Amino acid sequence: MAGTYSNLSNIPNISNLGSFDYTTDDSSDDGLHSFDDNQNNDASSSYPLSKYTGPLVDYVRNEWQINPKYASLPTANTDSSDSPRWIQILGSIVTAPRFRRYVVVYLTVLISCWAGWKFFVAPRLEEHAALLHALDPQVKEEMGGWFGANALPRFDDIVQLRKLEPSLLPEESASKSDSSSGKRLVFIGDVHGCKDELDRLLEEVSFNPDTDHLIFTGDMINKGPDSLGVVDLARKYSASCVRGNHEDKVLSLRHNMIAANTMDDEFLDDANLHRGQYTRERKLARQLSDEQAEWLDTCPVILSVGQIKGMGQVVVVHAGLVPGLDLDKQDPYSVMNMLTIDLDTHVPSRSREGMKWTKLFNKHQSLLSDSLRGTFENPESMLTTVIYGHDSKSSLSLKTYSKGIDTGCVKGGKLTALVVRDGGEQKLVQVKCQDHTKN
Amino acid sequence: MWISTSRLLAYLYGLVFAVGGLAASDADTDFTSVRSQFVKNYSGTGPSEPGEKYFQESSFHYHYDGRFANEPLSDKETPPHLSQLIRTYLSTMADLGAETWIMHGTLLAWWWNQKIFPWDNDIDVQISEPTIHFLDEYYNMTEHHFDIPGLNGGRTYLLEINPNYVFRSMDDKMNVIDARWIDTSSGLFIDITAVRPDDERRKDGDTGALMCKDGHTFDENDIFPLRNSHFEDFPVKVPFEYVKLLEEEYGSQSLTATEFDDHHFNEETLVWDSASKRKRSSRRRSAVDLPVRTTPLKYKLE
Repeated sequence: MAGTYSNLSNIPNISNLGSFDYTTDDSSDDGLHSFDDNQNNDASSSYPLSKYTGPLVDYVRNEWQINPKYASLPTANTDSSDSPRWIQILGSIVTAPRFRRYVVVYLTVLISCWAGWKFFVAPRLEEHAALLHALDPQVKEEMGGWFGANALPRFDDIVQLRKLEPSLLPEESASKSDSSSGKRLVFIGDVHGCKDELDRLLEEVSFNPDTDHLIFTGDMINKGPDSLGVVDLARKYSASCVRGNHEDKVLSLRHNMIAANTMDDEFLDDANLHRGQYTRERKLARQLSDEQAEWLDTCPVILSVGQIKGMGQVVVVHAGLVPGLDLDKQDPYSVMNMLTIDLDTHVPSRSREGMKWTKLFNKHQSLLSDSLRGTFENPESMLTTVIYGHDSKSSLSLKTYSKGIDTGCVKGGKLTALVVRDGGEQKLVQVKCQDHTKN
Repeated sequence: MWISTSRLLAYLYGLVFAVGGLAASDADTDFTSVRSQFVKNYSGTGPSEPGEKYFQESSFHYHYDGRFANEPLSDKETPPHLSQLIRTYLSTMADLGAETWIMHGTLLAWWWNQKIFPWDNDIDVQISEPTIHFLDEYYNMTEHHFDIPGLNGGRTYLLEINPNYVFRSMDDKMNVIDARWIDTSSGLFIDITAVRPDDERRKDGDTGALMCKDGHTFDENDIFPLRNSHFEDFPVKVPFEYVKLLEEEYGSQSLTATEFDDHHFNEETLVWDSASKRKRSSRRRSAVDLPVRTTPLKYKLE
């Protein structure tokens, strides 16, 4: 930087630069100084200050104007004569380092804004609009009706709906004296026969059979190592349960095998062509005792838990509910299997392609909440919160009106309990699981 | 080529005698010989090569058997006849221990209100391959009489197996229906199709592949294990994945739209009302007149 002041060549000394030596021969040919202070420190005294009588600035000579060496300075653009002036200006702007810096900064900001819009804001706005459209009664007219208009088919061996004994519900207000004496509901996600993990989970929540009530969200059996142990534990503690798709399959097979008289002889399975390829499920169906199977058969498709503070009407199902439809009008197959829902017709599907049912359900409940707010004193009590399992791919999914607690225990994930105590206080407890799918 | 009616009749008589003689000689019956009431055979002829197609549709309506009727039933008479038709069929199969379940349009009707659609006189049921072998072996061309409450003399139904059921290929396009359950009083019938392992798809590694000769393919796990429900107030079996099957076959709107043709589904009475006729459907959920079997069954599938 100092080199740009080369025209000060004949000024030998400036008081505050006293330690530097500006020699004439040093600047004569290229205008660059030598800042070799080690060598020339002593020499500064040879130029007496008295030689200059006026202000230093008067002695400044603009050498670049006089010296022929600088007469033709090489310009940045040698082809300047060919291109118009605005290109030259543009060129000089673009080549300026500050400009480049700003370009980089602004481009980054712009791209992140665009990406944020494209991948975050716009899809959410679209989804919001799609959900609102899907719940618009006018769309129902256009589509000719929504899911649930039919007279619901009944099945002989399936209980559609059960209500939890109200005395098991936690109290409205939190018990002040001793927190351990209050009543608790312990909702447990898909166990799939992982008995050891279930034992550890109960230990973790300090399960007390006198005050706590277990509620399983279905798929207690199959896949894992000890389905029978899990059923026995649930029976021992008089737990509540709902029918999952795995209970549905195993129990349906069992009923058919009893009807066809093939319970005792597994070789008959092969003789009976096309009865579903459920070797593992058939095996389990045979292992279940009549008492165990009967107990599982009493698990309803939908368990209506009742009012819990902060959650409104609590309902337990295995997979999901169709919004805006009474519990006794919910199709049992769909309740045990749904993952997504068709936005036009509200037909639920076990496929993963499409809108998750929880999104439509939560939107429906929040719209309902808005419409109830002005008219009712306690609108919360008229809303529904669903506690469900089934969707281990999405793992834990806690939304305002839906709580998904299948965290894939049998695949080496976690086993989750949602504990609700007096006053509606909720707590999640999880234990790690061994991967039982490998062996 | 035009043949005079008299010549045709004479020809038919000849045919009947010839076939009758044959039947008498080896005590076997076939399609044309089981006419009981009509001199003339009202069966239409198959579209291309007659003789190759076993089951014939009547010349006046594709869903009547021309050997037992010369005209369709009135709109008022049809639904009660169909109800008893499916009930007697389901009752017979249940008594035999033969596995059968409803499919296609009948499954959709079950979804809506567990009653036959008032605009549809097509009933679709399926049986498994071992079952059709059993039925062919012991019950082909058997008559089954039922007492029906409020009906003098009851009704007789005929179970008839298409001998071509043994050809297990979709290429046999003339014989896609494997058996019929026929109301001999009206000519109405139920189409019975056998569901078989699909050998070609199984060769490609699709271990659960099933097919019917009518071109439909299924997966074992979509049908089995069968569920127990009710249809026309009678126990019935339905495929395990009924919602999935219906949605795949008819689209999701078939499960939700309450308008069809000129019918509207009344969500209060749970009945399909006819809009054009300006009258409530007579098919109310009222007292049930269940048929009672009088013909004993000798052989059962265990």
